[in-house]
Amino acid sequence: MKKSATLLALAFWMAAACALAADTIVFGAAISITGKTAKEGEYTRDGYQFAIDKINELGGIKVGGKTYKLEMKYYDDETKPERTAQLIEKLINEDKVNLILGPYGSSPTGTAAPICERYKIPMVEANGSAESIFSKGYKYTFMILSPAKLYLRGIIDAVRSKDPKVKTVAILGENESFSKEVAGGAAEYAKEKGLSVVYDELYPTNAQDVSALLTAIKGKNADIILGSGHLQDSLLIVKQSKDLGVSPKAMGFSVGPSSPEFRANLGKSADYIFGATQWTEALKYNGDDPWKTPKAFGDAFRAKHPNYKSIPYQVAESAVAVIAYQKAIEKAASLDPTKVRDALAAIDVMTYYGKVKFDSRGVNIYKPMAAEQYQPDGNKYTVWPADVAEKPPLYPMPAWDKR
Amino acid sequence: MSSAELGQIAVNALLLSGILALVALGFSLVWGIMNIVNLSHGAFIVLGAYLTFWMYAIWKIDPFVSIPISMAVMFGLGYLIQRSLINQVIRAPLLATFLLTFGLEILIVNLINYFFKADTRSVQPAYSGTGFTLGPVRVPYIRLGALFVSLALVLALGAFLNRSRLGRAIRATGMDLDAARLSGVKVATIYGLTFAIGAALAGAAGSLLSTQVAFDPNLGGPYTQRAFVICVLGGLGNVVNVLIGAALYAVIEVVVGSRLPALSQAVTFGILVLLLIVRPQGIAGKGFY
Repeated sequence: MKKSATLLALAFWMAAACALAADTIVFGAAISITGKTAKEGEYTRDGYQFAIDKINELGGIKVGGKTYKLEMKYYDDETKPERTAQLIEKLINEDKVNLILGPYGSSPTGTAAPICERYKIPMVEANGSAESIFSKGYKYTFMILSPAKLYLRGIIDAVRSKDPKVKTVAILGENESFSKEVAGGAAEYAKEKGLSVVYDELYPTNAQDVSALLTAIKGKNADIILGSGHLQDSLLIVKQSKDLGVSPKAMGFSVGPSSPEFRANLGKSADYIFGATQWTEALKYNGDDPWKTPKAFGDAFRAKHPNYKSIPYQVAESAVAVIAYQKAIEKAASLDPTKVRDALAAIDVMTYYGKVKFDSRGVNIYKPMAAEQYQPDGNKYTVWPADVAEKPPLYPMPAWDKR
Repeated sequence: MSSAELGQIAVNALLLSGILALVALGFSLVWGIMNIVNLSHGAFIVLGAYLTFWMYAIWKIDPFVSIPISMAVMFGLGYLIQRSLINQVIRAPLLATFLLTFGLEILIVNLINYFFKADTRSVQPAYSGTGFTLGPVRVPYIRLGALFVSLALVLALGAFLNRSRLGRAIRATGMDLDAARLSGVKVATIYGLTFAIGAALAGAAGSLLSTQVAFDPNLGGPYTQRAFVICVLGGLGNVVNVLIGAALYAVIEVVVGSRLPALSQAVTFGILVLLLIVRPQGIAGKGFY
């Protein structure tokens, strides 16, 4: 009796699974819901889900006369790249998802890419901008983002627009693939613009004390301090700079300031600090997608998630990955992974997020990076590029003890 | 290297070693007395940090004032956890206690994550970021305060273990279980208390850390690692060994960090491996308290 009940349940489950598979496109993702980048992982998941819900609300995706609803199946990769790889393999093999959405972070993306390549399942990733991922000739991985080495350029440009004579820059970065590329790109660009890089070092992941690095930087009197790590690193660097009285003329970070938690954790200490950003609501794009403009996207997202005051760029870039799939699937008129892949390779579309078009490696080099700054009136403004800036950048940053 | 930088490095190392000693203190006690490598120690630290955070956010209780409260709460929780969970595997092989405390760590971290979300938080009293200067060297008040609190707790634990009747019973249990039992020591209670004290000290460390670093539910893992390294470096058996281990760890991290930051953890762990080969009991340690 018990056995037949189990069998019956199994039969129902299989029927349900088949019904589901029949008119649903399932995206698989391994996202850091816990671990070091748990917060960014949350943004990523919310962004994916927001776009999926929106497309479903508008009727779904039409493929050859048949309409499909979208669905996401995700697991927590615990911010462990090796776990990401296992989960992607599970999603493809056991869960039989149709397509893959990228994890959060360059290292997990780097381990997910070869798996997708092996099974020839495309992955559009929105949160791993290290170009090293794309130097291996993968054909199935596509990056929505501007690549890592461009991250801090906007901040350097913003500072130079206020002070063309600015001379020295110190760079400290987390020792992992994305942050290393950000730091390397910033150093290269600074030198190109005639600045001298007086300090350029990496600290280990999960550092809980960077006073040693800041002490060395203090001795070099750098005009600009640039940090390339993640949110917690940027908070640590600001806190300890204040502790140690390290007061450069400008301070900026690749990741951190874009998150609302930056202000929440630093209060007034966040003032004058620059943040690199892939996207802000202030940018003026007019795209061909359900929201069309950055502002409309921001408003729609806030309406659904009232706990977000400002929209972190991770949300916007994650959502646009789903939009890229929508466009590609419609164009391919097929769910065959290889055909979707080919459509992605040829995509050229303007969105609320900026232009989405990939070079031969799968990197979106067609969208610029912007810079934001926290200002003493309590708000964060887009300050670069100048033509879309909400306010001019404030410079120099007053010393910690003179505020 | 300028003398100003050298002075700052020395101060940085001193301040860091204080908080690290407190991070490792409870871990070392539980390890030395109960022979349990408590992998959930970091999670207790996180709980301490959250207690201080909420007390500050809701009632504006100064983080230094909230330390005793957070210690008391963690003491109670530690006692309950020991009596209900750890005690079940107290005679089991080391692997079982590893698994249990590892599981406990994951459970606590995920519960915090569930209730408080992955938001990054920090406690910022008005004096946060302020300090005084000694010539070219800057000393932040919060870190200095943390150093004093840490040293006070290290000394207090040392005095308690060496002078009080209960403390001596705890040490006796660590030295020879059977002899202690024969002398009328109630081992189960002693174990409960030892674990509770370890948790309370972790709570204090968490309270102090909440003012120094931004934290989220995952803060603990790296601190469990640090506590482990410090215990191996200094050796078990005495609170002074914890100070030695913490000082050594801080000096390596700060000195190497000032020149080759990318290698600071590699060097620390390199020394750990070396020490395990040449002097497995630690620089000054023995196997028990």
